[in-house]
Amino acid sequence: MSLLLIVLLPFIGALFPALMIRVGRNASAAAAFFATSLAFVLLMSHAPALFRGEVLQAGWEWLPGLGLNVNFLLDGLGFFFAALILGIGLLIIVYARYYLSKDDPVGVFYTYLLLFQGAMVGIVVSDNVLLLLIFWELTSLSSFLLIGYWKHLPEGRQGARMALAVTGAGGLAMIAGMLLIGDIAGSYDLSVILQRAESIQASPQYLPALVLILIGCFTKSAQFPFHFWLPHAMAAPTPVSAYLHSATMVKAGLFLMARMWPVLSGTEAWFYIVATTGLVTMTIGAFIALFKDDLKGLLAYSTVSHLGLVTMLFGFGTPMAATAAVFHVLNHATFKAALFMSAGIVDHEAGTRDVRRLGGLMHLMPVTATLAMVAGASMAGLPLLNGFLSKEMMLHEAASTAWLGQGWVLGTAATIAACFSVAYSFRFIAHVFMGPIRKDYPHHPHDPPLGMWIPPAVLVVLVVLIGLFPDTLAGPLVAMVARAVTGGQVLDYHLAQWHGFTPALGMSVVAIVVGTLLIRSYPRVRALWTAGPHPEAKRIFDGLITGAVDIAQRLTHGVHNGSMQRYLAVMLSAMLLLGYFVFASSPNAPGTRALMPASAVAVVGWVLLMGACLALVLMHQQRLLALVVVGVIGLIVSIGFVYLSAPDLALTQISVEVVTVILMLLALNFLPKRSPRESSTVRRLRDAGLAIAAGLGVGGAAWAVMTRDAETLSGYYLEQSVAGGGGSNVVNVILVDFRGFDTFGEIIVLGIAALTIFALLDGLMVSAAGRRLQSWRPDQARAADRHPMMLAVATRAMLPLALMVGIYIFLRGHNVPGGGFIAGLVVAVALIVQYMASGFGWAAHRMKVDYHALIGAGVLVAAATGLGALVAGFPFLTSTVWHLDLPLLGELHIASAMFFDTGVFLVVVGATMLALANLSRLGRHAEHLLVNREPMDVDPSRPSFAAGEH
Amino acid sequence: MNFVVPDFYPAAAEIFVAVMALVIMLSTTFARSIARSLGYFLCQFTLIAAAFITIGTMHGEVSYTFSNMFISDLMGDFLKVMIYFSMAIALLYGRSYLADRNINKPEYYLLAILMTLGMMVMVTSNHMLTMYIGLEMMSLALYALVAFDRDSARSTEAGMKYFVLGALASGLLLYGMSMVYGATGTLEFSGVAQSVYNQAANKPVLLFGLVFLIAGICFKLGVVPFHMWVPDVYQGASTAVTLILATAPKLAAFAMAVRLLIWGLFDIAEQWQTMLMLVAVASIILGNLAAISQPNIKRMLAYSGISHMGFMLLGLLSGVVEGDRHFALNAYSSAMFYAVAYVIMSLASFGMIILLSRAGFEAERIDDFKGLNKRSPWFAAVMMFVMFSMAGVPFFIGFFAKLSVLQAVVAAGYFWIAAVAVVMSVIGAFYYLRVVKVMYFDEPVDTAPIHAPAELRVLLSANGIAIAALGLAPQALMSICAYALLASL
Repeated sequence: MSLLLIVLLPFIGALFPALMIRVGRNASAAAAFFATSLAFVLLMSHAPALFRGEVLQAGWEWLPGLGLNVNFLLDGLGFFFAALILGIGLLIIVYARYYLSKDDPVGVFYTYLLLFQGAMVGIVVSDNVLLLLIFWELTSLSSFLLIGYWKHLPEGRQGARMALAVTGAGGLAMIAGMLLIGDIAGSYDLSVILQRAESIQASPQYLPALVLILIGCFTKSAQFPFHFWLPHAMAAPTPVSAYLHSATMVKAGLFLMARMWPVLSGTEAWFYIVATTGLVTMTIGAFIALFKDDLKGLLAYSTVSHLGLVTMLFGFGTPMAATAAVFHVLNHATFKAALFMSAGIVDHEAGTRDVRRLGGLMHLMPVTATLAMVAGASMAGLPLLNGFLSKEMMLHEAASTAWLGQGWVLGTAATIAACFSVAYSFRFIAHVFMGPIRKDYPHHPHDPPLGMWIPPAVLVVLVVLIGLFPDTLAGPLVAMVARAVTGGQVLDYHLAQWHGFTPALGMSVVAIVVGTLLIRSYPRVRALWTAGPHPEAKRIFDGLITGAVDIAQRLTHGVHNGSMQRYLAVMLSAMLLLGYFVFASSPNAPGTRALMPASAVAVVGWVLLMGACLALVLMHQQRLLALVVVGVIGLIVSIGFVYLSAPDLALTQISVEVVTVILMLLALNFLPKRSPRESSTVRRLRDAGLAIAAGLGVGGAAWAVMTRDAETLSGYYLEQSVAGGGGSNVVNVILVDFRGFDTFGEIIVLGIAALTIFALLDGLMVSAAGRRLQSWRPDQARAADRHPMMLAVATRAMLPLALMVGIYIFLRGHNVPGGGFIAGLVVAVALIVQYMASGFGWAAHRMKVDYHALIGAGVLVAAATGLGALVAGFPFLTSTVWHLDLPLLGELHIASAMFFDTGVFLVVVGATMLALANLSRLGRHAEHLLVNREPMDVDPSRPSFAAGEH
Repeated sequence: MNFVVPDFYPAAAEIFVAVMALVIMLSTTFARSIARSLGYFLCQFTLIAAAFITIGTMHGEVSYTFSNMFISDLMGDFLKVMIYFSMAIALLYGRSYLADRNINKPEYYLLAILMTLGMMVMVTSNHMLTMYIGLEMMSLALYALVAFDRDSARSTEAGMKYFVLGALASGLLLYGMSMVYGATGTLEFSGVAQSVYNQAANKPVLLFGLVFLIAGICFKLGVVPFHMWVPDVYQGASTAVTLILATAPKLAAFAMAVRLLIWGLFDIAEQWQTMLMLVAVASIILGNLAAISQPNIKRMLAYSGISHMGFMLLGLLSGVVEGDRHFALNAYSSAMFYAVAYVIMSLASFGMIILLSRAGFEAERIDDFKGLNKRSPWFAAVMMFVMFSMAGVPFFIGFFAKLSVLQAVVAAGYFWIAAVAVVMSVIGAFYYLRVVKVMYFDEPVDTAPIHAPAELRVLLSANGIAIAALGLAPQALMSICAYALLASL
């Protein structure tokens, strides 16, 4: 419980400053300080147990299904980091109280700070890697808020975004790595994972997992080549830089390397990746730091360099190196936080952080100068200070480790880095505090109030004390942490200033001498640097982003250009590819069924069909012609049905064909005669290729099915048609009997569709589209005799005949080809022809039947037939057959289905007429033609007509 | 042919919604003067009552009715409740938006209810034809909804594109179903499964059918290479419709995928997993890459939706590893959780666009979100929740969705897919963060005060809180997903 409380206290504390924002900054700071110190005291209460070697654990279930549990583990390592985080946190809280100005929203600042603190503590005491990840991402988020705290600074926003992008991305990579590790270990609990070192290192997933986790660590700890975000994050207020970018957040990566050290280290991959990265980072960071004029920039690169140093030590994979690493984490946190705070004081009091504008501050702000100089000396690694101790250990380890079999590489590189390190530390001291007093400081520098220099002073005292009495003060702590890192190995070493004349001491001396020389001839060194190339990471980062946006734009413009043809082409190509993939990977022998001989009729029909289709494709721009060809295709298909002994289908096909062609004719009325050519030749060729391939594919599939024997349903219906449905026309019996219920539904749908078309067309006249239609002018002159006499007379003569045919087809429908549906279409065609031949006005005037009513009547008749069966005690739509003996006509079979068929007939007539007649009415509206009620008419709006004959 | 009266009880909710659709149609026709609000309130009433009916008729066992064409199980019930929920919220968010543009006609609500009915039928179908009917019912209503703003050329164009492409996809799906029928002799999922299990089915024909089924499913989910409609339609449709389009249908499409592939074709999982793998990886890559450069937030969300659906598919395709079905339940429930999480996030994201829009102004550019923090700190926070959640940042529901899917993928041993997914998520984080950045760091371009009815504000706030709260305690929702699947399998 106490562990949970340690983690939760900062979060709870985060609530208060936000709430107390109006009370003032003292209250906010006090609340933050109180919460943190409570957590710190709680943590310290566990210290005795931990020093005894115990490990504290506590856990609750959260998402057991995902393996994510709130498990905490406090061992030496976690204790050490938690103490650093909370301890330095306390100092920062005090410091920030004095650093931030009255205008800054202080409550928000403390809220962010405590959120961050809680997340950091969460990282270091998590026992579950997934929980750790969550805290990890939380630190990225809260640091984003902290870096961007001064919203008015554009550098702050950019820096915040860059930091979040880099560390957040690293965190995501780490998720993948942790999932891999968890998968290998079988648990996401660290205490389990730490036991599985052997199986993890033996797994083939070890390398990807290692790389992914290290990406997370390196981004967080600003290791090369991800180091560039850290200097840009310096736009943050100094307390943030001091806290996040020296003592805590950037150490999270180091912490994780330490945590996973027993599991991941010791392999060649670990050594070469980690140690090399660390070495490169250490050297480059120290080198660049030497030439930074911004105090915080200098410290930032110095931090990068020191983080590299620790990384390299972990990379060596030896327990001794790990111990040195842990010790250096402690030392670096103390002197670097003190330095950042001093830099902040300088900035605060002198008004600038530019080294070139500073100097001689020792005389003006002696306290700050003393603190900064002691801490700076420790950073340089001068004897008697704590920085010297761990640096000696590092140099010793570097000198005694071989890299690619070469013993001198690491030692030399480390010495070079140490030279630069000494140089920039001296520059920090010499160019800021020493030298003569200048007259052009932006403010008048003087020592800050007590609250501002006490926090760094505490740290500097630690720097000195640890330097003087390392074994007494830091020894037990370092030993405990090292035990936790290395998995309980006990090492024989002691921390001391003097180890005799060792190679490490020699290297230190070289570093100090060279560093001093470098700084003495700084202008010349600087000139050399200025002459060299400066790859600016920010520019590369921005370039990467611009590049990505560029690719994205090209991708979207290239693929998603809004062209539907292209979308269709992509879809079809995908289908073809997938289809081919299946075809190629499955046995694709042709079927075994014997093929029928191709008769002459079939061949002719086939050639006709192909020719018509081809003609349609070629002539589709002439719309009227295309329509004619469509009609031809339909006719050939109907003939095909006749040939294949499906007269019913043929009849249906023909009538549907006629009705659709008429419909399209009516619609063509509103369109230009020709469609323009809109696509390029290349695209047409592409489309042709796709169409041919898709057609062949579908054809092939049909071929494959038809050449195999298959059982069909037709047998059942053929047998049952007369017995069950009382009719010998199977198709009709299926429609009105077997599937009568479906047909009932279908005629209702047909009726609704017709009503909808009516409603749409009717509503069209009053909408915006209607207004457009009103002002529409036909693109060409029409013939003067709108309704040619020949056509009018012929259709009128044919009307009774056509109606008779309709009734005939209806009556015979149940037993031979025909039926209500076809009859309905035939009658509808006969009627619609009247509209076309003699004009809407003329026909509508004479057509007394209301089509709406016709549809309604049809549905009602069909329903009544069905209900009749229900009344007679049978289920809905059960059919019966009556046998009547009529005079003259003889015996007559009447199936109840016939009444049902009447309903179908009525609905089909009504629906077709309603739709088509109204479409033709629309044409009349659009053309502004007068309605002529005379039986024979020519266009009454024509001037010759108006003037002459009337 | 004997007519057996089916058991109507399991389909009570569907029947109720169907009847209510008719009621809405007729009542709004006759009560012209109050038709607009009447349509809306009847619609909401239907959804809420349907939720009660579904929950009331829910029981742990699987039951069939309508000659086994209809199945009632816990998975279906859960998804149906989620569908009502998301439809109700979507309609509520969209109400003022539609009124501002004078397109809040009663037909809108009728179409929404018919679409809901279609989705319900999809979710509860146990037969390919039922599935197809449900799908068409949903799609036809959606086509009409997309083109609902008839006087907007963009909306009509979007409707047209959606219709043509959708019709082609439906055709492909139907073709696939006919092939499956040819191979197995049945259209009922359990029958298909039986036939495949007994190896009685003609394998090549079955696989061809599978290809077409996958195409149909992928079109509805909007994943590569059947995603082409998504950006254009999302952008073209009015935001209230996009909101509907981007939420509930994804759940229905998920149900379709589960029923067709897992219920019906589980025994050829290896084959469809391979196909889905290509589809999913391509979607994640394309969706995230393309989203980066979008200045239009609706379009950006469209691309992000493509990648999210790809992510969801990762869960579906990690069920069977070399014949080992041990991980199946985990993988499928992670996919379901992902789909549900996506719907919740999607609701909030489009809700935010609606919130910032007003009569004559569409807040659909990312620039319109600039400086939102200054205009309304709370809604800036809500949008930040949504963006963080979509990016997969911890303590939001999106993180757990991603995490559970990734776990399933890793458990199935598809390490490279996990790596691709993670890398692309990183890229994805970039464009989500851009929105957060402009909200918090930029100066507002649009300085008009936010006008929105109280219910929109309250529910949108609740939606944002839900994203965060479910991120803190996702256990319940996850267990429901797992339990619903377990009880239904």
